Amino acid sequence: MRLSEVNPGTRVRILKLGRQDPALKKRLLDMGVLSGEPVTVERVAPLGDPLEIRIRGYRLSLRKEEAAEITVEVLS
Amino acid sequence: MRREVVVAVAGNPNTGKTTFINALAGTRLRVGNWPGVTVEKKEARLKFDGTEVRLVDLPGTYSLSPFSTEEIIARDFLVKEKPDVVLNVVDATNLERNLYLTFQILETGRPLVLVLNMYDEARKRGLRIDLEKLERLLGVPVVPTVAVKGEGVREALETAISKVRDPEPSISSPRYGEEVERAISELENWLLEKGTPALGKYPARWLAIKLLEGDHEMMREAGLEELPGLSGVEHLRSAHGDPAEILAETRYAMAAGIVRECVTRKEIRPDLSEKLDRIFLNRYLGLPVFLVVMWLIFKMAFDLSAPFVDWLDTLVAGPLNETLAWALRLVLAPEWFQSLVLDGVLAGMGTVAVFLPVIFAMMFLITFLEGSGYLARAAFVMDRAMHLVGLHGKSFIPLLLGFGCNVPAIYATRVLESRRDRLLTALLAPLMSCGARLPVYVVFAGAFFGARAGTVIWSLYLVGITAALLLGSIFQRLLLRGESSFFVMELPPYRLPGVKYLLIHTWEKTRHFVVKAGTYILAISVVVWLLLHLPPQARTLEESYLGRASKAVAPVFAPLGFGNWEAAASLITGFLAKEVVVSTMGEIYGLGEETGGLSSEGFPGESWRKALLELPRAFLEAGHNLIAGIFPVSLKPEEAEASLLASIRKAFDPLSAYAFMVFVLLYMPCMVVLAAFYAEFRSLRLVVLMVSSHFLLAYTLSLFLYQVGKFLAYGG
Repeated sequence: MRLSEVNPGTRVRILKLGRQDPALKKRLLDMGVLSGEPVTVERVAPLGDPLEIRIRGYRLSLRKEEAAEITVEVLS
Repeated sequence: MRREVVVAVAGNPNTGKTTFINALAGTRLRVGNWPGVTVEKKEARLKFDGTEVRLVDLPGTYSLSPFSTEEIIARDFLVKEKPDVVLNVVDATNLERNLYLTFQILETGRPLVLVLNMYDEARKRGLRIDLEKLERLLGVPVVPTVAVKGEGVREALETAISKVRDPEPSISSPRYGEEVERAISELENWLLEKGTPALGKYPARWLAIKLLEGDHEMMREAGLEELPGLSGVEHLRSAHGDPAEILAETRYAMAAGIVRECVTRKEIRPDLSEKLDRIFLNRYLGLPVFLVVMWLIFKMAFDLSAPFVDWLDTLVAGPLNETLAWALRLVLAPEWFQSLVLDGVLAGMGTVAVFLPVIFAMMFLITFLEGSGYLARAAFVMDRAMHLVGLHGKSFIPLLLGFGCNVPAIYATRVLESRRDRLLTALLAPLMSCGARLPVYVVFAGAFFGARAGTVIWSLYLVGITAALLLGSIFQRLLLRGESSFFVMELPPYRLPGVKYLLIHTWEKTRHFVVKAGTYILAISVVVWLLLHLPPQARTLEESYLGRASKAVAPVFAPLGFGNWEAAASLITGFLAKEVVVSTMGEIYGLGEETGGLSSEGFPGESWRKALLELPRAFLEAGHNLIAGIFPVSLKPEEAEASLLASIRKAFDPLSAYAFMVFVLLYMPCMVVLAAFYAEFRSLRLVVLMVSSHFLLAYTLSLFLYQVGKFLAYGG
């Protein structure tokens, strides 16, 4: 499943980053968005985009189109 | 004698790095730009226990990748200028992500001192950090600090200096595990063997790591198209995939390992930021809260400063002008020289002065928004709407401020991180109809549209927004195609910014406006004065160079419905400030004569007294404005004289009046905006681009409106 499709409040694990634009991908890596990392989708912005996620103990926001390439699995 | 010690201060954004450097350097901080770019450079020279220290603040970054200007500046300084020691400021409450940058700084081979800032906050949140273990595992000294209170900052610098003085400095270079290390050393050896000019500039191991990461800048510097087929590199790639990903994973794994070893969480307390965001970012409340905050910012920026703007205006026009006139008469200065000083130089300085309260108030508020953490939330709430038109969530703030005044809007684009977003927003912000255009609308709409004047004025605001959308999409297609922009943004915890931090920042930015933009404004004012008063025999505006130029260009505007020279002349002077369009027309049509010339011969002591007594009233009025009134009071139009209206009715008809208003709205940002824009972006090419694109757009739109209107009215 894609990170952009995850419902708020769900805890997931990143499986693969996918093929982003190189600058975007490097930015994600630098911010610690890496495969194997657990992520909680906290909320969606009032207008429906972007997303807020919690990762490595801090909070990060990214647009749905930026999250669409990231594959995740739901953690029970 | 030892030469001075260069100390670089590096760290993530939102770590209190700026507060830290302010606490160390205070007023000795000098703010400039990094060469060739618009990124702020802060530097200070201090004497610390007998040592000369040069403190250099590097831009706040999360990494040393070559994808943003800030990152390139930070890493170039580290690897090329080779500072003696790096003070790496990290947020103690968010150690894991912060250490990612620490490892990258260590890769450059620079000695490092870890500044564990916001140490009190970490303790308050129940985090216990084993400092000794952290020092041992990282191999660098660790100093806990609370920069807002100034705690530990001296110790941090002391530790850094003693590290430099250490005759056998221990450089700790992080080791990244067997497979990665094998690839790195293979690449390093290959580089040393092959030899490349890049080796003279960069440390070999660092260069090898960057090449392994596929860093396009370093590949270019080393003259490589792709990595050589070395067995270790090939193995890494086939077994684990993209080396850039592996390196990031390794650094983060090490950071996580250190945090696991050194940080214990005694109790989990609910985070205040999370509680606040349940309201501020709530699905239903998020947008209303945002609108209220924006309304407050707008109101405070403009209403609070308005009385001071008026006060400075009267101060310059009254006592300052009279005193200078008195002094000039005293030394028997020729009349033309008096006029040059009073109407050219002093008027120009007055223009700069009246903008100060607005810029100060606005910068204070923006710095507060940024420092408090709400700015990131505002961007989060607004991004969807702004992204639809190719802008960033944060672009909303400069654009909104543009409705008050375009000048602070230009400065407010600093909240944007990527150059693309900053530039695009700055190019469009002057299309927002500012307060200074309103007097023009009031006169023209009042003269032609009577009861419907309000509707007409509203439509002009919409024309401005539409023009920005139109121009924005053109710019994105033609100009900024290759430049990527994304929204991967940290939502930092809410914090109350310190007053010292706010004041230093606000002062820096206001000073920047006076020194940089002020110079250009003064120069332009003098040039315009010359155009108005030369040749020497010119008696009226019509005979001056400006009048002659207006007559020459007037036919250009004929297809737009206002081909008279009076309109052209007021458009030219409108470049000084848009409201001047009205006063120039008044002057040409023989109204609004100079009120000066009646001043007494002696020193104008009385008017000084009056002006100084007015200052407390300005404070009172500002306080009153803050509390009273729902609508911005700064948009109070002045009553136009009936005779001016009559003259305008003769020269225009409703259709051409509307075309003229649209043209005044769009044709060119005023000189103060252009000066600020140039001071911020340092590119004449961009100034030309802004002026020509706005002018072209204004011309096309007015032409279209006038011709279609004429066709519908008379032709159809």
